[in-house]
Amino acid sequence: MKPLRALIRKELTVLFGSPMAYVSLTLVVLVTGLIFFEHLRIYNQILFLYASNTMGGFDTSTIPDQVNIRDTVFFPVMENLGITLIGLIPLITMRIFAEERSRGTDELLVTSQLSPGRIVAGKFLVTWSFVVLMMATSFVYPAMATVEGGIGLQNLLAIFIGLSLHAIGLASIGLACSAFTSSQLVAAVAAWAVGFVMWDFSWANPIVSESVARALDAIAMHPRYASFSEGIVDMADVAYFAGLALLCTSVARLSFDWRRVVG
Amino acid sequence: MRALASTGLIALAFGLGATYATNSFGWFSTANLIAGGVALAGATVFGLRNLRGAGAPAFRSTLARGFGRVALALLAAVALERAAAWLHIQLDWTLERKFELSEAVLGALHEQCPAVIIDASLYYDKTDPRVRSSRMLLSRMARTGCLHFDLRHLDEHPNEIDRYGISSSNSIVLRTHEKGRPERWQLVERPTEGTLYEALYRLRRQHSGLLWVARGDGEGDVQKTSGAGYSGLAAAFATEGFKVHEFVGPYVEQIPDNVGVVVWIDPKRQLRSETLAVLQDYLLRGGRLVAFLEPGRETGLEALLARWGIESPDKVVIDPASGPVQEDAPGVDPLVYNYASHHPAARGLDSGRMTFFRGARAFHLHKPQIEDDLEGVAFTSPRAWLEPDLRVLYRRATPHRPASAATNFWPLLATGRYQRGKHEVRIAAFGDSDLASNRYLRTLYNLDLVLNTVHWVADQEPAITLRPKSVISHRMQFPLPIQNTLTRFESLGLLLPEAILILGALVWARTRNA
Repeated sequence: MKPLRALIRKELTVLFGSPMAYVSLTLVVLVTGLIFFEHLRIYNQILFLYASNTMGGFDTSTIPDQVNIRDTVFFPVMENLGITLIGLIPLITMRIFAEERSRGTDELLVTSQLSPGRIVAGKFLVTWSFVVLMMATSFVYPAMATVEGGIGLQNLLAIFIGLSLHAIGLASIGLACSAFTSSQLVAAVAAWAVGFVMWDFSWANPIVSESVARALDAIAMHPRYASFSEGIVDMADVAYFAGLALLCTSVARLSFDWRRVVG
Repeated sequence: MRALASTGLIALAFGLGATYATNSFGWFSTANLIAGGVALAGATVFGLRNLRGAGAPAFRSTLARGFGRVALALLAAVALERAAAWLHIQLDWTLERKFELSEAVLGALHEQCPAVIIDASLYYDKTDPRVRSSRMLLSRMARTGCLHFDLRHLDEHPNEIDRYGISSSNSIVLRTHEKGRPERWQLVERPTEGTLYEALYRLRRQHSGLLWVARGDGEGDVQKTSGAGYSGLAAAFATEGFKVHEFVGPYVEQIPDNVGVVVWIDPKRQLRSETLAVLQDYLLRGGRLVAFLEPGRETGLEALLARWGIESPDKVVIDPASGPVQEDAPGVDPLVYNYASHHPAARGLDSGRMTFFRGARAFHLHKPQIEDDLEGVAFTSPRAWLEPDLRVLYRRATPHRPASAATNFWPLLATGRYQRGKHEVRIAAFGDSDLASNRYLRTLYNLDLVLNTVHWVADQEPAITLRPKSVISHRMQFPLPIQNTLTRFESLGLLLPEAILILGALVWARTRNA
């Protein structure tokens, strides 16, 4: 365990020793804040548009059901954030393995006391922790503002768990892509493309049979992520993201064998 | 190979992006998807060619182990997800627990199952965010095995839109098919657990009996849809399977035996002695009566109830445990949280499930005959007293308890069960009628208390339940003050990223100096 701890410490030092981590954190917090604020502004405008029918005062009876904080602000924000993360997370994960390969320091790692499995585990753990931290900082602002809106702390927690699992899933995909290349750009593009493809398969519905559409829907990220936004923590969704992370870990582990054989 | 793979992935992503954006397969998306697929296939072929040099047994076993691990992880992932899905563990963390089905809904679903399977179609528009929540509610109900559901896009089913009179997205049509019987259906335009429950109840072929509602002496009007009317109560009776019939008291010579329940809502004029005699005669023949009284009235109904042991002195209840409501004086609108928990009419009601009375009178109970069974069902707090000066109802000042006024748990709903010959008579009296008016019927648990009392009086205890709420919370429809939001955005929303960025700059500078 000692070499693994040393690897985790080293990874953390590298991560927080570079400005990249802070820039990406700032970017995510700012993007979240801007998306949230824009939705909130539009929501308030719509609300007053409906309420103004009563000529003064505030009468909720004139407002349609769908105009409420949950449906008009929180869900669209989470939806947008989910897509935004597909673009942002690969920027964080692209360097994790690829940089080591391009510098040749991965050889050093492999010849250390650490097995490839442990190297992969260490890098994955650090990255997952970082993306969860990122979600926590970006979540503070919408959470604080919407607690007043009556969405409930448990519902917020469910959304946060969903957001974190989605980020962990994307980070795992990013890491698996990064493990197979020495180019950070290729790693980012590949992670972006895989994440984007896996986000939603509803586009395929018109061209595939119903059973294939159901199977594709089962492996898509969006339906899993969406139920957390709704306030539902389904163990099948949690297991889906855990399984995705496990699969990506084994794919990243395969890259070590692949390199030994193919070069 | 890498260039080909990257190009393929980019083309694939743009193809998908174009499909999402235009919601169709245009020439651009089709060309990109095909080009992306071809490029990726080419890259795979090139990649496999690289493997030619890896034919040595040592290499083969290394790769086989690697791929074996991936296959094992894939299997484990699928098994994990399937196992979790099979266990059906779902935590409902919504504020109002809107996806946890109530006993009432489960009961309504299981009642006819498996003889009758209900089909539910959710008609939707892609831009409607409410559909997601309705879909989730239906999927919860479908898990019982008594309901099947599907989603139908509004544009694709114009005939059904006309047939069922669907006017907006997020509408659900529930249908039942029974052999040899025509299809029955119910349209639910604002699906919540409560509205779906009511539709399920209406789909049943149950008849709870004939319910007569008195009129002609200024009683509460069950056709009036304003806040002061009682149309909501009549609709709730119909939903529960009662056939509602209005009768004019002064013109009725006899209430037939087949009338299940007579409901008398706050008569404002003195009832004729003949009318009261008709009612008394009906009761002695095993009749059932639910009366809603109001303080400040002496109509003869109070005297009739007193003969059955339910006395109601003409005083108003002041309950200091209840705060001011609207512009009324504090205490005149009791918030009831004490119930006779063993009484079927109060089943499920407790201190967390309150009912709201607006200006009520209380009851004194005494048995006319030793074997009669009289009970209070809903009570004030122990600090309540009876105020003889009814003007407190119209003043805003806080009433003060006279030294002579006794405090007690005063019953605001009383019930009586009497054996008269071969017949069992049941009577329930509410000390207030406003709780059943359109304005307050769906406030807190008023609807449940009223309907469950009627079911008890009609001797239909299996129908007693707590119904899911059908009204959506408007708590989420208040604006978040924009100024507050701006202030917070400037403080927390900008302060946090600024701090993180400054920290990053410091780290960067230190690294460069080192």
